[in-house]
Amino acid sequence: MLNLDVMDVPSKAIAPGAKLSQVGSRIPPPDLRKAISLAIRILFSLASVAALTFVLSRWMHANASTTGFFYLLEILFIATKIGIVESTVASVAAMFCFNFFFLPPVGTLTIADPQNWIALFTFLVTSLTASQLSARAQRRTQEALDRQSEMERLYSLSRALLLADATQPMPNQIVKQIAQTFEFSSVALYVRSSGEVVRAGLSGVQDVDVRMREAAVRSTVVRDDATGLVVTPIRLGGEPIGSLALSEGALSDAALQSLLNLVAIGLERANSQNAVNRAEVARQSEELKSTLLDAIAHEFKTPLTSIKAVTTDLLLQSSGELPEPTRELISIADEAVDRLSNLVTDAIQLARIEGGTFRLNLGIHFVDALVHGGIRRIKALTDGRRIDVSIPDDVPLVRVDVELIQMAIAHLLHNALKYSPRESAISVSARTEEGKVILQVRDNGPGIPEEEQGRIFEKFYRGKNERHLKGTGMGLSIAREIVKAHGEDIWVASTPGQGSEFSFSLPVASRSGQS
Amino acid sequence: MSSAKILVIDDDPQIRRVMRATLVSHGYQVGDARSGEEGLEELRASNYDLVLLDMNMPGIGGLEACRLIRSASDVAVIMLTVSNSEKDKVDALDAGADDYVTKPFSMPELLARIRASLRRLPQPPEHSDLEPLAREGVVIDLPSREVSVHGRVSHLTAREFDLLSYFLTRPNRTIAHRELLQAIWGPDYGDESEYLRVFVNRLRKKIEPDPAKPVFLVTDAWAGYRFHLPQ
Repeated sequence: MLNLDVMDVPSKAIAPGAKLSQVGSRIPPPDLRKAISLAIRILFSLASVAALTFVLSRWMHANASTTGFFYLLEILFIATKIGIVESTVASVAAMFCFNFFFLPPVGTLTIADPQNWIALFTFLVTSLTASQLSARAQRRTQEALDRQSEMERLYSLSRALLLADATQPMPNQIVKQIAQTFEFSSVALYVRSSGEVVRAGLSGVQDVDVRMREAAVRSTVVRDDATGLVVTPIRLGGEPIGSLALSEGALSDAALQSLLNLVAIGLERANSQNAVNRAEVARQSEELKSTLLDAIAHEFKTPLTSIKAVTTDLLLQSSGELPEPTRELISIADEAVDRLSNLVTDAIQLARIEGGTFRLNLGIHFVDALVHGGIRRIKALTDGRRIDVSIPDDVPLVRVDVELIQMAIAHLLHNALKYSPRESAISVSARTEEGKVILQVRDNGPGIPEEEQGRIFEKFYRGKNERHLKGTGMGLSIAREIVKAHGEDIWVASTPGQGSEFSFSLPVASRSGQS
Repeated sequence: MSSAKILVIDDDPQIRRVMRATLVSHGYQVGDARSGEEGLEELRASNYDLVLLDMNMPGIGGLEACRLIRSASDVAVIMLTVSNSEKDKVDALDAGADDYVTKPFSMPELLARIRASLRRLPQPPEHSDLEPLAREGVVIDLPSREVSVHGRVSHLTAREFDLLSYFLTRPNRTIAHRELLQAIWGPDYGDESEYLRVFVNRLRKKIEPDPAKPVFLVTDAWAGYRFHLPQ
């Protein structure tokens, strides 16, 4: 549920559709124009009273009561069609005419019969009251029409925003639609999230931008004196998300509030649409990358499978069937196939992990089981070498992706096997430290010089003295990426001549399993 | 030398050629097919003892082909996969494969797997003495390899039959993963606990009234599985 609240709207209201004043035009200022127009209307009202008096006294020779009713009709007409001021002036004029031309003694402003005083007074009160009532009714009608017109415009705006073109920027469409629907010459919209100001009919006015930011940041209404615009903050759930500049009093309070709500919903809708689109694009690209990596793996491994089947089948033959030099050559080809196959596997693993085309499949596991799973993965490479495992019983369960962590352990073990003498043992141990489980893989190799320790996790990096060793140069990078994907650290401690110790941390599973 | 008949289903012509040449040299009779559809056709046309099925093929693909083969036949199926991921292995076994081999594989490894898959457990001599087990609406009839749960009849594949026979001859005893793997799949096995997970699940679906709450084939956590027979 959206919580929209818009406050501090301008209080004065005039009819929608009112155009902003044109700065620098030759038309007289509005006050003077209003006064001239009022004077013309009053003169017209007086003229119509004079004309009716002439018709009634000279042509119709009507009696006093008929005359009174005719005057009342005329005043009602003026009140309805022209205005309250005009009808009041006309009422007073009609009273004098009534007295002078129709009430005896005719031709004077005196009244002989006291009853006629009452008639005259009644006439004046009736005509003034009727004027008031009629003008008020007219004003109400006009207001109702204005509200209706506002509602229609708001409806057509909401429809336009609902059907907005998803490929076009939403703020631009909102501004365009407001200007079109309400026939405003100047509209500006500031969107806080993007910091952009979109305007219609305000080219070259720089100052508005400052006012708009101010209104949004301070979440209050700001007036821009230079343009006569009122800048109102747009809020969504109490949070200002932008501001809208309109000419002062262009809309009633209620309509302005509805308009701001519509704009807020429009902007929010565009935001969520963008978020959905971005997530969809990311998902598709992830899927594409993953499919591509699968296809690459398949394409590389298929010919390797044929070669491997051939070399291993030939090597199955007894030494009598196969001359020794030929056996040696086939062995070389066989080892090369293994190397190439490992290279493809590692490169694809690394691309998958680095490219983020995988999701951690987190589960709660025994550290013991992880280590033995890792050892199982490199069983074919251990060549009978000893791997000592010591995991204390009190090491807690960890929350990890079992397959990836086993892979990381396997890479560290493979690294240890490669870089230590055949007869030396490799040890794996675990301990708990500051709420984490630290796993260590230790070898008795030559150690890593200090200047190289920072670089060994880099892709394809190989120690200066180790260039002759087989391997893809990606194992430690893969291990690091896997540990990083779990939000944990991996590091190495080594003293040249005394072996190396690779350690990484693992997150402990909380009791609720939600760690 | 055995003369078992093997069908190689792989879309790569070179792999079919290599497999044919090497397997024939090891005494097997070999047929091949370029796709899952063609393989199913070939299986309908003649009898095979084992299928080497590539997982990644155009058309219906290896997994679907495996399901279709399994729905009609007990032939041993070894799936050839490129990926070494746990998910692919479990998918392959779930689809009904008896085993899988990751590409590229060495011939000795493949031959060992083929031998293991073709190897049938010697029928226990007391086999015919095994009374059909009938408890709580479940009837397990080993000689006919049929299981009926509340009237719903399922047929056991050869591997499932071996596993169930092994359990039935050792009721109410926890059997370790390693023992089961070596007894049913062969001496080269022992660490492949995912095989057991999948096959025990497959058996549960066939013999348990409610596979989610097994009453016969129960898991003894971190130890193994046990066939529970109320005395």
